[in-house]
Amino acid sequence: MSHVTELSRMVSNFHVPGSGDADSGVPEFGFSSEVILYPETVEEISRILGFASQKGIRVFPFAGGTKLFLGNPVGAVGAALSLRRLGRVLFHEPSDMVSTVECGMEVREFQNAVGCENQLFPVDPPGLNSGATVGGLVSTNLCGPMSTRYGTCRELILGVRAVRADGEIINLGGKVVKNVAGYDIPKLMAGSLGTLCVLAEATFRLYPRQPFSRTLVLGFDSHVSCSQAAGAIFAADVVPTCFEILDGRLSSEFAAAPGAKRSVLLKFDSFEEAVIEQIKQVREITSGKSASFIEMGDEDSKELWDSVREFPFSSGASFSSKLTLPVTASVEILSDIESDPALSGVTVRCLSRPARGVALVSVDGDGEEAVRAARFLENLADSLGGRIMFSGIRRELRERIKAWGSFGEALFLMKNIKRRFDPGDILPGEKIFDAD
Amino acid sequence: MDSQAVKRTDGWKSRIASELVEMLGAGAVISADDELIAYESDGLTGYRVKPLFVVLPSSTAEVSQVVELCNREKIPFVPRGAGTGLSGGALPSREGIVISLSRMNRILDVDVPNRVVVVEPGVVNISVTDAVSAEGFYYAPDPSSQIVCTIGGNVAENSGGVHCLKYGVTTNHVLGVEMVLPDGAVVTLGGPAPESLGYDLLSLVVGSEGLLGIVTKVFLRIIKKPQMVKTLFASFERIEDAGASVSAIISSGVIPAGMEIMDNLSINAVETTVGAGYPRDAGAILLVELDGPGAEVSAQVPAVSGILRENGAIEIKLAADESERELFWKGRKSAFAAMGKISPGYYVQDGVIPRSTLARVLGEIGELGRRYGLRVANVFHAGDGNLHPLVLYDPEVEGESEKAEELSGEILRVCVEVGGSITGEHGVGFDKKGFLPLMFSEQEIDTMNLVRCAFDEEGLCNPGKVFPTPRTCVEPGMKKPGSETHPAREMGELF
Ligand SMILES: Cc1cc2nc3c(=O)[nH]c(=O)nc-3n(C[C@H](O)[C@H](O)[C@H](O)COP(=O)(O)OP(=O)(O)OC[C@H]3O[C@@H](n4cnc5c(N)ncnc54)[C@H](O)[C@@H]3O)c2cc1C
Repeated sequence: MSHVTELSRMVSNFHVPGSGDADSGVPEFGFSSEVILYPETVEEISRILGFASQKGIRVFPFAGGTKLFLGNPVGAVGAALSLRRLGRVLFHEPSDMVSTVECGMEVREFQNAVGCENQLFPVDPPGLNSGATVGGLVSTNLCGPMSTRYGTCRELILGVRAVRADGEIINLGGKVVKNVAGYDIPKLMAGSLGTLCVLAEATFRLYPRQPFSRTLVLGFDSHVSCSQAAGAIFAADVVPTCFEILDGRLSSEFAAAPGAKRSVLLKFDSFEEAVIEQIKQVREITSGKSASFIEMGDEDSKELWDSVREFPFSSGASFSSKLTLPVTASVEILSDIESDPALSGVTVRCLSRPARGVALVSVDGDGEEAVRAARFLENLADSLGGRIMFSGIRRELRERIKAWGSFGEALFLMKNIKRRFDPGDILPGEKIFDAD
Repeated sequence: MDSQAVKRTDGWKSRIASELVEMLGAGAVISADDELIAYESDGLTGYRVKPLFVVLPSSTAEVSQVVELCNREKIPFVPRGAGTGLSGGALPSREGIVISLSRMNRILDVDVPNRVVVVEPGVVNISVTDAVSAEGFYYAPDPSSQIVCTIGGNVAENSGGVHCLKYGVTTNHVLGVEMVLPDGAVVTLGGPAPESLGYDLLSLVVGSEGLLGIVTKVFLRIIKKPQMVKTLFASFERIEDAGASVSAIISSGVIPAGMEIMDNLSINAVETTVGAGYPRDAGAILLVELDGPGAEVSAQVPAVSGILRENGAIEIKLAADESERELFWKGRKSAFAAMGKISPGYYVQDGVIPRSTLARVLGEIGELGRRYGLRVANVFHAGDGNLHPLVLYDPEVEGESEKAEELSGEILRVCVEVGGSITGEHGVGFDKKGFLPLMFSEQEIDTMNLVRCAFDEEGLCNPGKVFPTPRTCVEPGMKKPGSETHPAREMGELF
């Protein structure tokens, strides 16, 4: 019996690509698999991986398929494991504000489920409305504007049920918000891109929904006045849920502050009087600095926040990048990028999330110039004491622009972890590690 | 690791001593029996082991040299901060070296615009806040031991405090570390940036209880002091009502900075010793601290008071000023010490439960106390369900300390049964390693061992802690994967 046949018998649903079934639910992604398996239980995943690890068959886990452009492309694998059929909320205790969910569930659905209890799973990753799943979210550690207040899912994850590459089912972490028993392996899973374990279930801390919310959009004529205002907002007694800075191009494209050189986007959530008071403070400390000041309710600001959340994956650019930087550098980078001749031949868009020290940059341009821009960004991240990751790299550039900048001294420890967890490289390690 | 296999002669010992003295200077090596006594235990004084030596390095390079020597001679080593740990984490290894970080106590950089303070591991927790307080900032994790315990110890234990309900524990405030790995190599994980990319190794190191290496530098996130702080005090006839209030407050959308409950026995212990003005006849008291923008806190105070009243609070007081606020907290902060005054011995437990099971668990703890004939006082971080039951006993009474220990263990069983954890902030260490299997299967503990082996193949770094049974890095059925060595090492570079 072929391996594909044996693997297919372990699940009730599978799909052999090329067999003419158009409705397989699998998007175009950059790897080829002999079979796509749709397990319905964690035990099925365990059997699949147990078999695969014995036979040395590589297995690639995925779910929504919305973030497959992150990390290095995956080469040919024996089987792809879709988590789509593991999509239930397993546990939600409202008074504990904790919930356990299967990893194939869409993030949006999960938010709706806990939202019924007036609770919030406060992560807004790109792809939120187009099928991003909980497992994909954890594996990519992607987040959106709300991370200013709530952090990434690394800050929210309390426990996981996962299947090791050798098929062993493990429950790590727990279901309580405070727990120091053993190493924090659930956090290790955040951002590991499916290279260590297949995630079957995750337990998260939830937050209460806030009763009132307002968005502010401030437009600026110059980088200097914007940067001063951002500093003043930082220093003020305000606690924004979202705090983003857009460059001139995005300010216009997102219709935030058309024509402005920069715009600052803020969102406040709290009791009504507290939101109003914070808006008043922002108005006072930025007066004389900002050229425009608009206040918006939830409905009016929805489209703007959708655009911000999806950036840079929505921009259709040659590539996009995420830089993780010290806080001040993540603001000043807007001006570093603008003024540098290395980027004069390409179209650059940049969004800064200062409280997280994150800058998202998309670059559109042809061959040589795009490559030069990537090198420039890589060196910039390095010189500012940060790290960089490239994604959505156009096919023709992939040879020359790799997904990851330097991991620094951590690389050899990362490799040690990978080898310990998955000595046979059953879960494709090339997502993160270049071939040695 | 098999340190016993190497013959430790007196000649060997004096050779190692002189090598250490040459490395660090005579004042930095302790080998006299009477001076070693102070290092025989941590805050859990029931366990004592005399180490071979204690060394007091002053720099990362010195730590690395000591660790290299330990590797060469196969000597186990144990990092130590202030020794306030409550799980025996810094308990020396027999025939091992204790590496005390107390001399590495400099604040290296205060960078307010980037909200980062860089410190050596021996810096005392409170000093970080002291260094940035004038600028309106503070370091959020505030263990009750904060005037003594060190940042290195906090990182190793992932320590919490009374304000971690809203602000998180140590792991949420550490941006990076420099560490000496168990083979002596030096690496930096993370740094001044709030986020990083790649595997989150930093989250493994925070809370690793000194098993993954010795932290020699820490990048800490500082946050702005809140504009307004208000503290509410409420007393209840029944502790269950205090517990119900906690859940109701959080469900209403308010996340207080901290919520602490003390039961009647704790109240009376505190009143007898420090006189915080708590009502002696109350079944429980609850402290709720609200902080944030002024308008937000002002709106929260009446909302929270209403919830307390609805849940049967007898008396509700809002601290009128800073001195009254301090008085409210004084009782809570001196609770452990007060137990020492009303009982010759006590055992602090550190279980965690889902908030929704509070009433049930407190009932079961009371029942266990009656069954064992011992008093149990309850003081806890109620917001996050972290219980600190204090089991009181008299060490002079034959068998009573054993009974107290057994009762403490029973409490942990209850915590795990309701879906909680055996430790919320004090760590597993030496004390609770036997309880780890209550929460995790063999395979799960093996998985944790994979992490340890990725950092420490030889198992020389703080051995005998956390893992219930000794584990090597070649487990049955597990292929021995090759390990990467630090790239600089391959180039023959010395640290
Ligand atoms: C009265 C009292 C109240 C307390 N209250 C709290 C509380 O509210 N919350 C709380 O979380 N804890 C509390 N604790 C426990 C204790 O203070 C903390 O665990 C603290 O973090 C220990 O710090 P330390 O410097 O004393 O470390 P130590 O006790 O010296 O060591 C603790 C562990 O850290 C390791 N370690 C120390 N330094 C390093 C380093 N540089 N690199 C790697 N590993 C290292 C040791 O090997 C050991 O495993 C309390 C203790 C007492 C006595």
